Amino acid sequence: MPEVAAARSALPYDPATYKDPELVAQLRVRIARLADTIARPVKLMHICGTHEHEIGRYALRDLLPPSVSVLAGPGCPVCVCDNEYINLAIQLSLQPGVTVASFGDMLAVPGSIPLEGERRGDVRMSLLDARARGGDVRAVYSVFDAKKMAEANPEREVVFFSAGFETTVVAVAAMLRRGVPDNLSIIEANYYTPPATSLLPQLEGFDIEGFILPGHAVTITGLRVYDHLPALGIACASGGFEPVDVLASVASLLEQIEAGEPSVTNPYGRLVKWEGNERAKEELHEVFELAPMRWRGIAEIPASGYKLREPYWHASAARRFAGRLDPLALQGAEHPKGCRCAEVTLGQIRPNECGVFGTLCTPDSPYGPCMVSHEGTCRAWYAYGMHKESLRVELV
Amino acid sequence: MSNSSEATLAPPRGRSTSRYDTVRLAHGSGGKLTLELIEELFVATFSNEPLRELTDAAILANPGGRIAFATDSHTVKPAFFPGGDIGRLAVAGTINDLAVMGARPAYLSAAFLLEEGYDMEELERVVRSMKATADEAGVAIVAGDTKVLERGHGDGIFINTTGVGFLPDHVELGVAHVRPGDKVLVNGTLGDHGIAVMSRREGLDLAVELVSDVAPLNGLIDAVMQAAPGVRFMRDVTRGGLAAVANEVVLRQPFGLRVFDVAVPVHELVEQYSEMLGIDPMLSANEGKVLIIVAPEQAEAALGAMKAHPLGREAAIIGDIVRKPEGVALVETAYGSRRVLEMPIEEQLPRIC
Repeated sequence: MPEVAAARSALPYDPATYKDPELVAQLRVRIARLADTIARPVKLMHICGTHEHEIGRYALRDLLPPSVSVLAGPGCPVCVCDNEYINLAIQLSLQPGVTVASFGDMLAVPGSIPLEGERRGDVRMSLLDARARGGDVRAVYSVFDAKKMAEANPEREVVFFSAGFETTVVAVAAMLRRGVPDNLSIIEANYYTPPATSLLPQLEGFDIEGFILPGHAVTITGLRVYDHLPALGIACASGGFEPVDVLASVASLLEQIEAGEPSVTNPYGRLVKWEGNERAKEELHEVFELAPMRWRGIAEIPASGYKLREPYWHASAARRFAGRLDPLALQGAEHPKGCRCAEVTLGQIRPNECGVFGTLCTPDSPYGPCMVSHEGTCRAWYAYGMHKESLRVELV
Repeated sequence: MSNSSEATLAPPRGRSTSRYDTVRLAHGSGGKLTLELIEELFVATFSNEPLRELTDAAILANPGGRIAFATDSHTVKPAFFPGGDIGRLAVAGTINDLAVMGARPAYLSAAFLLEEGYDMEELERVVRSMKATADEAGVAIVAGDTKVLERGHGDGIFINTTGVGFLPDHVELGVAHVRPGDKVLVNGTLGDHGIAVMSRREGLDLAVELVSDVAPLNGLIDAVMQAAPGVRFMRDVTRGGLAAVANEVVLRQPFGLRVFDVAVPVHELVEQYSEMLGIDPMLSANEGKVLIIVAPEQAEAALGAMKAHPLGREAAIIGDIVRKPEGVALVETAYGSRRVLEMPIEEQLPRIC
């Protein structure tokens, strides 16, 4: 693909290049040829919520041959966040003197505490419901807003709900290293993806042949952390988020599959390096260490989450408030009755195969976690109509 | 700042002309201070005959025929934002509601809900801005009301405006007149207001050199109606953006609305900040944009009329009405792929990553 390469070196950071219809057309031809040569159905998976969002926004699945499918894997931080952390945030927000500061996407996610007075079914409480019941819940854009909030309100305890992957936890680490007010603590709900990708191939019926690696997270972690996957027979390619990026990753995966030589390639090389961002990783690992973590609806996976190291335990909300919480209420069934988010998250079913999709579960009243964030698979499918069999246009 | 073409900028700061620096409860009590505020600020600034009479109701001339009647309440944070303020917003908003029905807006009322302690000089700036916007549109503010809420029981300033416009006999607009094949136009770049206001919200503080598009559109709409009598439907594109209007148009209708992604005009800065914040300009708010559906043979005439007007220089034909899929607003991408244009649910917020 010399044209793509040339365009990249000429205009490395102009996003318009990566939306260019001519480059997209060239990639489609290349993908179609590879699919013809492979001559059997191929399933690929991305593991980043933003990929699903962009695939929906540009309707990129329309551009692929019928034999090539791209499924959404466990890549939405809102969806995989275990309900223990959501329940913890809800309980804390209802404590006198405590403010919970959270990213906007986490506010509507149901945990496992039943919502009293609800008659529609097994509806669970979210942080928004906690706010409606008098809890102090604020939406913030970053952890630095939470810090400002703590400084401005020294008489209150401010708890930052630190959810997400490396893109959010690095900022938290940087802030903690530089010192925070005594009245600020964090809910440790940050996830590390590579161990989850090792688990997936062990699941019964797993037939994914290639992963599009999450472009934002691997900018920090680097690609080396995925180099165990080719040995399991899985092709890997880093994935950016513009249409040209996504299709270039698909093409790279198909090339590996066609050649029968899975490896880890880097089509998103303008931002991603093999070793990642050394400085960010250094700060991250000084403050956090990898620990076992529950992925909602999937399993507890060893070394798949970030927990504070001992010198930073003072900033752990779970430790600080341990005596004031009801530990039993933190546990609970992962998903409400009838919700199939677990299977959606693993790419085992499409969102519209779930019985509550679009009926009990809609973006304005999400029943399960995948319908909440714009990065959630169900939400993206609903918003962009990906469940509609045909958007064929007839003029008159 | 004597140049009237700069009406979109907030009037210059100056010392308040009132005896009081801030709004008192007594300003809304109906007594001496109320009268003082009405005479010295509202009557003096809005300056027109029906208002000067200080009667309980304004008595207005009636040219006969149908009237259009609309009301809208306004609250915005911050009250002054790049390119406008709550006063301009409140006047332009109701004028635009009347104008998109094909009516010629004539009179407005203005009701103020002020919080005790609200800065008097700021109120004067808001009122002057309302006057400037009303003048720009050729509309008179002929009736009003002021209430003052106890400190802590309001959010600074709320303004309600209600308006009356006269509807020419031949004008018949509405979704019922829309047909497959019709063209869909907008008068310029989308999402400017939403991003301009967001750029000044606490916690974001983006250094965006972008101004809100807030403006009265009756002049532009008049020009379009003259040039293209085949206009079928108009609606001002406000909260919820293009996506909300497009979905309202097709709701329960036997046709769909197709938007061509690449045809939608978006300011370069709006594009960049939307990308950064993970929001969509098609769902972002506007306060000076109108969506027009017109018979295909008059689309070019309508476009020409818009482009000839200062508020329509970047107007574009952005899509068309299709027979199928029915009841769906959809986007056709630069690559020929199609997706649903999402009906907005909540205010857009930046995403986690």
